Amino acid sequence: MKLIKTENDSNKLFQIQPEVIKTLRSGGLVVYPSDTVYGFLADAKNTSAVTKLINVKKRPFGKPISVFLPGFESINEYVDTNKKQQSLLEQLLPGPFTIVLPSKHNVCSYLESEKGSLGIRIPDYKPVQSLVQAFGSAVTATSANISGKGPHYTIDSFLKTLSKKRLSQIDLIVDAGKLPYNKPSTVIDLTEDSIKVLRKGDILLTDLDEFESSSPKQTRKIAQFIFKNYLLTSKQNSVFVFLEGDLGAGKTEFTKGIGKMLGVTDIVSPSFVGFYEYDISDCRFKKLIHFDLYNINDKSELNYFNLETFCQGDNLVIIEWGQKIKGLIDKLKKQTKIFYLQILYQDKNKRLIKLKQ
Amino acid sequence: MLIFAVETSCDETACAVGSGRKILANVVYSQAVHSQWGGVVPHLAKKEHQIKLPSIINLTLKKLKRVRKEADLNKITAFAVTYGPGLAPALETGIKQTKLLAEEYSKPIIPVNHLEGHIYSVFVQNSQGRPDFKFDFPYLCLIISGGHTQLSLFYDHLQHKIIGKTLDDAAGEALDKAGKLLGLGYPSGAVIERLSEAVENKDFYNFPRTMIKHNSLDFSFSGLKTAFYYFVKDKSQRFITDNINKLASSFQQAVFESVIIKLESAIKKTGVKNLIVCGGVSANKHLKTTIRQLARKHQAKVLFPRYDYLYGDNAAMIAVAGYYRYRQGYYLAGDEFDLLDRKPRLNLEDKFIWKTKK
Repeated sequence: MKLIKTENDSNKLFQIQPEVIKTLRSGGLVVYPSDTVYGFLADAKNTSAVTKLINVKKRPFGKPISVFLPGFESINEYVDTNKKQQSLLEQLLPGPFTIVLPSKHNVCSYLESEKGSLGIRIPDYKPVQSLVQAFGSAVTATSANISGKGPHYTIDSFLKTLSKKRLSQIDLIVDAGKLPYNKPSTVIDLTEDSIKVLRKGDILLTDLDEFESSSPKQTRKIAQFIFKNYLLTSKQNSVFVFLEGDLGAGKTEFTKGIGKMLGVTDIVSPSFVGFYEYDISDCRFKKLIHFDLYNINDKSELNYFNLETFCQGDNLVIIEWGQKIKGLIDKLKKQTKIFYLQILYQDKNKRLIKLKQ
Repeated sequence: MLIFAVETSCDETACAVGSGRKILANVVYSQAVHSQWGGVVPHLAKKEHQIKLPSIINLTLKKLKRVRKEADLNKITAFAVTYGPGLAPALETGIKQTKLLAEEYSKPIIPVNHLEGHIYSVFVQNSQGRPDFKFDFPYLCLIISGGHTQLSLFYDHLQHKIIGKTLDDAAGEALDKAGKLLGLGYPSGAVIERLSEAVENKDFYNFPRTMIKHNSLDFSFSGLKTAFYYFVKDKSQRFITDNINKLASSFQQAVFESVIIKLESAIKKTGVKNLIVCGGVSANKHLKTTIRQLARKHQAKVLFPRYDYLYGDNAAMIAVAGYYRYRQGYYLAGDEFDLLDRKPRLNLEDKFIWKTKK
């Protein structure tokens, strides 16, 4: 077993890429950081490599293991998709999701489920993405732990759980220090008509465009996900997000999540002044405008908000208590892209976030 | 030296003339239009500023005439104007108007940070020079208002360091929101204060004190707001009416206690014993009493603004802050006015925009 420490230096991770690829090509087993937890990497087409993985992990045979794919283009090489699934994949990937689809049997059959399906991942994490791309073929994507035990965020905690014999079967360990505490990916089964969530990760889809949050942190993550996959990719210059939700639903938390993606870290509630604006650099949006209409009682006030003026220019406009000006949506729709988001209070620790375009 | 100050960062249209720390004329116009709406309406505020500012400027000069014979803008040394933080369209109006005046009378402009203004509000003197006490740096400052809640250190003129701030709602905003849920109108801080006094500011419901266990000096009131909302939501109108004093007092107590706890740990952490407490919410008598008790406990001295008009937004504090900026050369000459733009999220620590040039 060889151990390489790269710490939190992503450059070092790229430097050692050739060595990792060499190990994978020769059928080796690699422990490697990911966007979620430490994972076991092995060549998904190499039966002996996969067998080694299953042994070390004490994974019962027949229990499927998902794979990292080299890129979006390669999806159809590994799994079958129809149009609807394809469009969903485009929204979710890259991201912290594992999508289960009918396998085309181009990987070692041990990785597939009994029903012949395969879980695929394209993580939003450069080191893994570029590694798998350079490798040019699917690589296993399973957490580096003993089956049934919790995942690991540091190499030390992982090593403690291993016997010497088991450790000797691992060829290479890449220690990138402590990983941020992101939950393992959300596993979504698309093999049947409806969307089925098999494992809950940080971002939880209960349906198409429906997310579940159980903490402010999760609300921020969902916001970031929605920002990356919906707001950022919309074609219009300006984008309006109407946020509907009760007091304490997490609207400001949601906005903070988006702010973080834009490098704005000092977002506070603007309800006292009505709105705040933030300058943004390094993004296609040049300004973040954060409205809070909580104090608005009378429809006639809206004449004084001049929302149309924000349609011009590269503005991302987030409007808390957006339900109060639903009537303006039709008018604004002609000039800008509008997203309507509901944050619904389920119980003290649970919110449902619904996205409508 | 005379400084003519303009403040339009939110819903107060205000002008003042200062000579050093002395305020010779001061006018504050609170835009009553917003109370019928239940909050500040951005473009309505802008419109109001545009309509009212010229007459407020004239009124200020009239007042100046009472103490100075020659009261016209030619005699002014410089104009000071708030350029942030605040509401963008509102700030914009004050800046635009000030630029026009400064151009017309060929005077420099001193851009002033609104938060720094609040800190200087405790040093504002009347036209007779009262109160008369000297600066004794460093100070530990608590700004507590409808738009801001933060702790900072004031080392010397223009030298600030933020040590804690709200992560979500400001204290005054939280009080306003609770007041709204209780049907008390806007703004509701003063009503909550009266309702609480009637039950001796006691706590009956023990709403959560957010972030008090947290080691940082940051504030957070959104958890308290949420807890209060869901507490009140299930209750009948009858219950709320019957217990309005208790509800108001308990909420106010939760807000104030969170603030006091952070202020006390700031005193302990920094060892600074000269306190400045300013901003609209600090006008609350019960809060003042509690802060004075805390100061006594730590053998600390505390400064509040001396005159009532200094708690809310006003231009007197901008004139005094502007004076200290001017003394250090922080002002813009006529050909540099383009550099001056509104900064809605200006931070107390932010370096001045013309720094690169000087």
